[in-house]
Amino acid sequence: MQSVACPTCGAEVSFRSPALPVRVCDYCRTLVVRTSQSAQAMGETAVLPFDISPIQIGTEGRCFDQGFQIVGRVRWAWDDGAWNEWLMLLADGSHAWLGEAMGQFMALREVELTGSLAQVIRRLMNDTPVKPGESGNIAGHAYEVADIRTVRCIGCEGELPFTAPAGWEALSVDFRNRDGRCASFQKDAHGPSLYVGQYVTLASLQPRNLRALPGWSLHPHVA
Amino acid sequence: MSPDDSSVRTLSCPACGGMIAMRAAGYTVTLACEYCGTLIDATNPDARIITRYHEVQASLAIPLGTRGTLRGVEWEAIGWLQRSDGWVSWEEYLLFNPYAGYCWLIAQNGQWSLGTMLTAAPQRDGSDQIAASRRFSPFYSGNTARVTRVAGEFYWRVKVGEEVRATDYVRPGFMLSLEQDDQEKNWTISEWLSGREIRAAFDVDPPPTWLPGMTPLAHQPSPYARRIKGWWPIAALSFVALLLLLILLGGTMQPQSFSLSATPDGPAVSQTFGPIRLPLGRQAMTVEAVTPNVEQGWVDIDVSFVDRKTQDSYDAYAINERYSGRDSDGYWSEGDRSQTLKVASLPAGTYDLVVDVKAHHWSSSGSFSYDSAGGAYKADGLPPVEIVLTVARGARFASNFWLAVLMILVPPLLMLVLHIVFENARLAQKDGSPADADDWLQGIRSP
Repeated sequence: MQSVACPTCGAEVSFRSPALPVRVCDYCRTLVVRTSQSAQAMGETAVLPFDISPIQIGTEGRCFDQGFQIVGRVRWAWDDGAWNEWLMLLADGSHAWLGEAMGQFMALREVELTGSLAQVIRRLMNDTPVKPGESGNIAGHAYEVADIRTVRCIGCEGELPFTAPAGWEALSVDFRNRDGRCASFQKDAHGPSLYVGQYVTLASLQPRNLRALPGWSLHPHVA
Repeated sequence: MSPDDSSVRTLSCPACGGMIAMRAAGYTVTLACEYCGTLIDATNPDARIITRYHEVQASLAIPLGTRGTLRGVEWEAIGWLQRSDGWVSWEEYLLFNPYAGYCWLIAQNGQWSLGTMLTAAPQRDGSDQIAASRRFSPFYSGNTARVTRVAGEFYWRVKVGEEVRATDYVRPGFMLSLEQDDQEKNWTISEWLSGREIRAAFDVDPPPTWLPGMTPLAHQPSPYARRIKGWWPIAALSFVALLLLLILLGGTMQPQSFSLSATPDGPAVSQTFGPIRLPLGRQAMTVEAVTPNVEQGWVDIDVSFVDRKTQDSYDAYAINERYSGRDSDGYWSEGDRSQTLKVASLPAGTYDLVVDVKAHHWSSSGSFSYDSAGGAYKADGLPPVEIVLTVARGARFASNFWLAVLMILVPPLLMLVLHIVFENARLAQKDGSPADADDWLQGIRSP
């Protein structure tokens, strides 16, 4: 763990993983980027609107056959809604995302966009339009395009692998397959990225330290 | 109340000013004012009006904000939709629990179902779909479901008039629905809820009991299927009990045997045996009449139990016969040399058994001689026919037994008929092929 002083407010900002160079200052919401010697302010993020997600920074559990801890979050919005991408720091030091939308959860890990890619992915990389229902193979499994959206970042917190400035826009394409697997393709000004994983239930994550929500008792299956 | 003390956010409706609650902040996209129906954009910090309405909202069977525990999860009703496909209309409540996500309560014709969205697409198998390792058969296809009224909050951009194409697959108790528009394809499984289950969770009117003439839901399980299945153990137990009764109480006791003989085509023989003492108030008597050596002929046997005191007579009659021969197919024989006679309900008393027998010989050829002593013709060389009568108290009346078996079978047969009427009414709504016996059986087989 490395600690630096926030370049804006001077509060202590700690970095847990060398792979996560970005941290949102808990006090002034400055995006602090760690370099080899120092820390640099990269703008300020918006205050996250109130939501009643059961996840919070510090929630722990098991995913991808190992323990994880939630260390960060990016909140994305599109014309008809918003969702959370929680950053899981896994026990082996790598990270993965826990997407939370419409009360459903998706555990996703980034895969490299190399090798023989499905035609639908190549077309997305070339900015050729695709339609929901188109299919293609991703990492050995057949997927179907579920939806295509232009999304924008509306805020973030905690530690992140990249800077997530408010107003950052990306193309987001969700894939689904028959066995409950899912994949997500994102493309922004910096280039494309691909994430694969599966739908998970909150209970299957064996979560601890869930967020307590006033008026609600912890779900008996996850408590 | 400070905002952090509650999971509920309140705002005032920009159209009517009414205070409305937002119970799933962060998820909710559209909020329909519960007072005036105005649709509000919940993703906009200024709660922009999407569509303004001035409509008094319906009073809901489950008021929004009501909580209920269903299958171990506490749910809060946060949204309500009324939808119609042009033929029927139904209501859908959006239920929310921040730890469990969303599900649906669907109400139609007073019947309730619990809907869950699938994250994995079903597997197609012929015209059927397999979802959650259950097989669903096609039922409705290509209907358009249209939102007609809306209240509360939703995680998508709901609009009155919004349409989706719906295709439904069914198995008893469950419906698998595909709803699609140009952007999205969603699969949902709805499970029919018994009146007891829905009422334990939410205080709604009890679902009506199905009666012939009513239209059941497409996936409503036949109320008779379970009862028919439940009846079989009862029927089996009753059958065993009946058999036991028959064996224990229907046995015969104190057999007495009498024998006499009669010459074929000779004179009638009448003989009296006794005494036979009957101790019980009422008893049935069994008389077994055996003629071991009757051949090519028959014996008329009349038996009468005659009460020595009252001279009341209780009669029974038997014919024992035997014919045999040889033809192109070889040896043949027919007729019965043994008969069992039953006489019911003899009062207590001392009886004589009066037996009248007459033996006959059947032959197209044969020699006869006049028996001067007997005063009649008799067939030459034919031995006298032996008649052995065994009299015993008690009797098994098989007809009573079968009557009882029939009565055990009446309820399940009646339920089977009602089951078929129910399934026909349910399947009459189906698009495509009419119902057949396989559909009726499926209704009984699957839970």
